Amino acid sequence: MITFLVAAILVILAFLGMPLFAVILALAMLGFIIGGIDLTVIASEIYRITESPLLVALPLFTFAGYLLGSSRAPRRLVNLTQALLGWMPGGLAIVAFVSCALFTAFTGASGVTIVALGPLLLPALSQAGYSKSYNLGLVTSSGSLGLLLPPSLPLIIYGIIAQQMGEGKVTIKALFLAGILPGVLMIVLLSVWSLWTIRNRPIPLTPFSGRRAMRALREAAWELPLPLVVLGGVYSGVLAVSEMAAVTALYVLVVEVFIHREIRFRSLAKIMRESMILVGGIILILASALALTNIIIDAEVPTRLFNLIQAHVTGKFMFLIYLNLFLLVLGALLDIFSAIVIMVPIILPVAASYGINPVHLGIIFLANMQIGYITPPVGMDLFIASYRFGQPVDTLYKASFPFMVVLFLAVLVITYWPWLSLVFLH
Amino acid sequence: MPERSDDGLPRPPEAPILRWLHRLEDGLLSLALVSMMAMAVLQILLRVLFHTGVVWGDEFVRVLVLWLGLLGAMSASRTDRHIRIDLVSRYLPDRLKAFASGLIQLATCLLCALAAWYSVRFVLMEYEFHDQAFAAVPAWICELIIPLGFAVIAIRYGVLSVNRFKIVLKKSS
Repeated sequence: MITFLVAAILVILAFLGMPLFAVILALAMLGFIIGGIDLTVIASEIYRITESPLLVALPLFTFAGYLLGSSRAPRRLVNLTQALLGWMPGGLAIVAFVSCALFTAFTGASGVTIVALGPLLLPALSQAGYSKSYNLGLVTSSGSLGLLLPPSLPLIIYGIIAQQMGEGKVTIKALFLAGILPGVLMIVLLSVWSLWTIRNRPIPLTPFSGRRAMRALREAAWELPLPLVVLGGVYSGVLAVSEMAAVTALYVLVVEVFIHREIRFRSLAKIMRESMILVGGIILILASALALTNIIIDAEVPTRLFNLIQAHVTGKFMFLIYLNLFLLVLGALLDIFSAIVIMVPIILPVAASYGINPVHLGIIFLANMQIGYITPPVGMDLFIASYRFGQPVDTLYKASFPFMVVLFLAVLVITYWPWLSLVFLH
Repeated sequence: MPERSDDGLPRPPEAPILRWLHRLEDGLLSLALVSMMAMAVLQILLRVLFHTGVVWGDEFVRVLVLWLGLLGAMSASRTDRHIRIDLVSRYLPDRLKAFASGLIQLATCLLCALAAWYSVRFVLMEYEFHDQAFAAVPAWICELIIPLGFAVIAIRYGVLSVNRFKIVLKKSS
C-alpha cells in the first residue's frame, strides 16, 4: 500500500515536471528497498554505464552535431540541396525535407535542426510562395525527420538497450540498415503530399544551373564526405560505431575550427558544455533506468504483461495496432530517449513473443516516437519552434497537423510491411 | 536544444568562488571530451598502422563516458535543464507553478543527496577492495565521479529550491 502510494506520488511529481532521471532513480530505489537490497547497489548499477563500448558514440556524435550546428554548415547544406534539387516541381519543399533529414541524422533529433535550419528555410519558402501555415508546419515537423537514418542517436540507444536485453541480433549496423528505407519513405510521402498541396499555386521553378551546383559542391566539399565516411566506415566493417563517432567528431572539429575557421577557439568550450548538457541528461536517465530495468525484469513485469495482453489480444496484427496506439501516446508524453530506456525493456520481450523481429520493432518504435515530437500537448519540437519563430504553440499545432497525418500514414506502412525495414538484413 | 529559462527571472551575478568552480568544471568537461576523442582516434591509428594499441585505452574511453555524463548532468543542474515531462505545470497559475517547482526541486535535491550518500559508501567499499579499473588506476578513482556528481546536483537543486521558495514567499507578503 505504501509502495503504491509512493509510486503514485512519484508519477504525479513527474507530470508536474520533476527531472525524469530523479523519478526513475526514485522508483529504482523504491524497488531496491522493497527487495531488501542495500542502496549502495545504485552506484554500482550506474557504473555499468562503462560496460557498453557503444555508448562512446553518444557524446562524440552529439558534439559533432553541435559543432556543425554552430558553424555555417547548415547554410552550405541548404545551398547544396537547393542547387541539386531546386529545379524540381515542389523543389524547395523537397530541399527542406532532405536537408532537415540529413542534418537530423547527424545531430540526433534534439531540436538542433529546427534551430539551425528553420531560420534559413522559413524565409526561402515564403519567398517562393508557399503559405505561412505550410512553412511553419514543415519546419516544425522536419525537426525530427531523419531520426531513422544513420547515424542517429536514438537508433544507437535502442541498439544498446536491446543488446543489454540479450538480443544479440540487434547490432547497430543492422539498425542503421533497417532505418534507411523507412526514413526515405517518410521523405517521399511528405514530398508527394507537398506537391499535391501546391497543385493550384503557381510556384515558379528555378532552372538547374550546372555552375551553381558546382559552386555549392565546392563550398560544401569538406562536409560532403561525412555521410559517405560514416556509412562506408560502418557498413564496410573497417571501423566500429564508436570509432566512427570519434573520427567524425575529430574531423568536424578540424574542418569547422581550423579549415573553415567559423568557430572560434574560445567558443569551443561553450559548445562542448552545451552538447554535454544533452549527453549528461541522457546518460543520467540511462544509468537510472539500468537500475530500474533489473527490478522490472526481476518482478517479471514483461511476462505478466505478456500474459495479460495475450488474454485480450490475439495475433500479431492486433498487437501491432495496439502497439502503435500506445507508442503514439507515449511519444506525446515522453521524450524519445526516456521512452526508449524505460519502455523498450518491457515491450521487447512481449513483441518478440508475438513474432516481431526486434530490429523491426526498433524502427516501429522510433517511427512512432518521431510523430510524438509534434504531438500536442508536450511534443518537444512544437515548443522549440514556438520559441525559435515566436509563434504561439496553437498555431504550430494546426500548422503541423497535416504533416502529422502524412507521417502517421508512413508509420502504418512501416509497421505492417516489415520488408521495408528488413530487406537489407537478409 | 535552446537555453531554457524556466522562470524568465534575471539571475543574480555569480559569486567569484562559484564562477571559479564553474570554470573548473567546464575545464574538466572539455579535457574529458578532448581526451576521449584523442584516445579513440589514437587507438584506430595504432591498430591500422602498427597492429597494436594501448591496452587500457578502450577501458579509459568508456570510463570517460561516465565522467562526461555526470559532468554534463552537473552542468545541466546549474539552471535546472534536465529532461522532464512538462505537461501540467504549463497550465498552473504562476504562484502555484513556482510553489510546485520549488517542491520538485527540493525532492530532487533530497533524492540526489541520498544517492550521493550511498555512492560514497560504495566508493569506500571499493577502496577497501583494491580493485583495478585499467593500467594501475584503482576502480574507486573512476567511480569517484558518481558521489561527486550526485552531491553537486543535490546542492544545486537545494539552492534552486530555496530561491524558488523565496520568490513564492516574497510574492505572498
